[in-house]
Amino acid sequence: MTTTAPTLAIPGQLLGPATRYQPGPGTHLHEAQLYSSLLGQVHTTAAARAPGPVKRLTKITPAPVPAELPTISVMPSSSAMASGGFQGDEGEGRSGGAKKREVLPEVGNVVLARVVRITPRQAVVVICVCGDTVLEAEWQGVIRVQDVRATEKDRVKVYESFRPGDIVRAEVISLGDQANYYLSTARNELGVVSAMSEAGNTMTPVSWKEFRDPETGVTELRKVAKPQ
Amino acid sequence: MSSTNHVLLSPAELAYLHASLSLTPPIRPDGRAPTQFRPLVAETGILPGTNGSARICFADGTEAIVGVKAEVERTVVGPEGEGVIVEGGEGEVEEGGGEGEAGWVEMTVEIPGVRDDDSGTAFLAAMLSEGLLADEGFVRRLWINRRFHWKLYLDIILISPPLSYPLPLLSLTTHLALLSTRLPRLKSEGDEDPFFDDDWAAAPYLFPRPNGKSTTFVSQTRPPITLLVMAVGNNIIFDPSKEELAVADVALAVSVTAGSSSSQAPSKHVPMDTSTEGRNLRLLSIRTIDPPSRLTPPGVANAANSAYGANAGQKTTHEAQATAEGEAVEGVWRAPRGGAKRMVLGALVQKVLERGGVVDEVLDALEGVDLG
Amino acid sequence: MDRRRINGPAGATQPPVFDDVVSQGAKTVSGRSRMPDASRKMYLKTGVTPSASGSAYLEMETSAKPGASGLKLSCSVHGPRALPRSAPFSPHIVLSTHIKYAPFATKQRRGYLRDPSERDLGIHLEAALRGAIIADRWPKSGVDIIISIVEGDQDRETSKSQGEEAWDMMNALAGCITVAAAALADAGIDCVDTVAGGVAALVQDGGADSTPTIVVDPIPSDHAKILAACCIAYLPTRDEVTNLWFRGDLPASDMDLYTHLVEKGILASRNANCVLTNCLMETIE
Repeated sequence: MTTTAPTLAIPGQLLGPATRYQPGPGTHLHEAQLYSSLLGQVHTTAAARAPGPVKRLTKITPAPVPAELPTISVMPSSSAMASGGFQGDEGEGRSGGAKKREVLPEVGNVVLARVVRITPRQAVVVICVCGDTVLEAEWQGVIRVQDVRATEKDRVKVYESFRPGDIVRAEVISLGDQANYYLSTARNELGVVSAMSEAGNTMTPVSWKEFRDPETGVTELRKVAKPQ
Repeated sequence: MSSTNHVLLSPAELAYLHASLSLTPPIRPDGRAPTQFRPLVAETGILPGTNGSARICFADGTEAIVGVKAEVERTVVGPEGEGVIVEGGEGEVEEGGGEGEAGWVEMTVEIPGVRDDDSGTAFLAAMLSEGLLADEGFVRRLWINRRFHWKLYLDIILISPPLSYPLPLLSLTTHLALLSTRLPRLKSEGDEDPFFDDDWAAAPYLFPRPNGKSTTFVSQTRPPITLLVMAVGNNIIFDPSKEELAVADVALAVSVTAGSSSSQAPSKHVPMDTSTEGRNLRLLSIRTIDPPSRLTPPGVANAANSAYGANAGQKTTHEAQATAEGEAVEGVWRAPRGGAKRMVLGALVQKVLERGGVVDEVLDALEGVDLG
Repeated sequence: MDRRRINGPAGATQPPVFDDVVSQGAKTVSGRSRMPDASRKMYLKTGVTPSASGSAYLEMETSAKPGASGLKLSCSVHGPRALPRSAPFSPHIVLSTHIKYAPFATKQRRGYLRDPSERDLGIHLEAALRGAIIADRWPKSGVDIIISIVEGDQDRETSKSQGEEAWDMMNALAGCITVAAAALADAGIDCVDTVAGGVAALVQDGGADSTPTIVVDPIPSDHAKILAACCIAYLPTRDEVTNLWFRGDLPASDMDLYTHLVEKGILASRNANCVLTNCLMETIE
């Protein structure tokens, strides 16, 4: 399938007709032809791979079309080399002085965020990691009280779910308003993954809603993420 | 920036507007013909303290005032200028008009609610003065003698909030203000300190009137006018309102001026059907206006909208994003990408410069304004 | 007045102008040494500023005369990054462009604050780039494009520079568009195409009666009189124009002249685009 597609692309370069490929990250569609929109290397991936919250570079993620076309994408050269496909770890991306391309949190992504402030109605967090990519910029997010868990939403209390300093795994549910992304932890595997006790020790999760300080033995309430 | 401030129209409204403006003939929201201007009220000479002034009020409520003030300023003689005086004693240009400098005209635009240092107003002022300065004869008229010149201050103030892109309004108001501008009659001679006639009635107009002796060889150019033109599909629309501009594929500001046909050799004098002799239009400047349509929110097609039951399930978001990069769906608004085709740009300019076209109409209408 | 920096002397002084030894007295126009359709040589390199997300540097070949300087531009792109909290929600990337002449870039010293002409250039650049980028790929984020003109395109030999600033601005804008396109590609911001700027001018080299000719990439001091010029930002693959800036004085009856001028502007832009694509290919190889 890679017979006609070039290996390197600059913005505006023709990659092939839309009847042969599906648009992937770094490409755009114009008059039934696919063009590159980034500077970098061209990758074609067979459509078989499961679409999931992989490290994404733009809004476009592969969509299953009946014809099962391969997806063509353009990766910026530095991050393509560093990550070797999609699943590179972020330490590699930083190495060798290769500049990393900034990515944006997007609806459906699972992100890691640090809680900075809690109010009775919401917890304000800062998104640090999106997918597998460490973000350069700090994007602010909000976990509203109704998005903390899936059941018994009316009994949720934010201070029994999060504390400032906690690291939370959450899913982006909306781009939100001008300042905040809206996040949700309403799934078993989402919630607090790392927390410090009031004494200042790292705690371990003991149940779906409790963390325990191993030194003092005190338990604190959290919305605990199911360990993976 | 005035051209890109947010238009509060939903994607559905934008799609509807775009579709109706793409029809042949286009259907505009206010029922105007494609080349028709909004009605306006104009008057001149409203400010007694100025050398010339004008006010125009559009029917949509936007209103602008322009005041022209002239001051005598000493000409900064460059080194080579001195050289001429020392060497020859007599300059090479004596026929009542040396060279003019662009710095002799200062134009400022003020728009309420916009910061003074906003780039948008700088752009507007640059655009308006560009057309004025492209006409070389204009600055030459500000020449008094080798040591002095007039410095012309044009202060353009939009009184109302900018309900639409104010360029045509400001341009027409400036045009009228300049037409009504008079400079005191010079009584002194040569290079002595200038001395002027006190009699305001004797003051000549900056742009001499063609009345009476219309066959003089003085090139009777008029101040330029800048028109806003936009294209939607293959349709060319003049004087777009804010809503129309929000769906424009491309928008241009075109400055033209009309020299009287008598000054030029009558090479292609096409007789018009009416009494108006064919104006000798001259193209002075063109600028692309960044259309606010590029900043409009895109619509979501029903096929991708989970609210309509399509693709309910966990794949919904991926589907929606894929269709965002898909082909355009009829009736779903998408902000335009890329630029304008060459042919469209050419057609826009051609339409503006058309003989007996919109420019002639506008100039005719402006001539009807009493310049008392 | 910017009080945070050391400013120049308050009283403006006349810059020293030395007598032209070569051309005593009469102003000689050296004339153009290139073919009408040939652009000046250009040097373009990306990735010059490590701290920026993307950057590029452009230098124009100095014209044949010694002592005449070429244009030197440095562009850095910062972002995409989060918008300030006060900014309203934007479904698109918010583009902000800054063009600044270095204080020493031109014969007349420039201040540190941007003057109206620099702001004007910034708007032109914004219009040219906005057509090229795919803005909806980066919602809620902003990108700053900062260009400093390290050296303007001015002839230091001739003492006279009457009315040439306007034409210099066009040349500067064309360079700014090209260098910004390279920096945007370097930053990894989605673009539909590589946009490049080009200038064409209608010049009159002989006396007032001679036939005007159209040249590509004009240097104002090479020509006796420039009647009109246009600066074009052009997307070659899509064959689209994102920014058109024309000024001059053309009779409206002669549309052909205008059309030719625009065609030549596009040609100049294509020339610049060759340099741009080569530079980008080098970057990724």
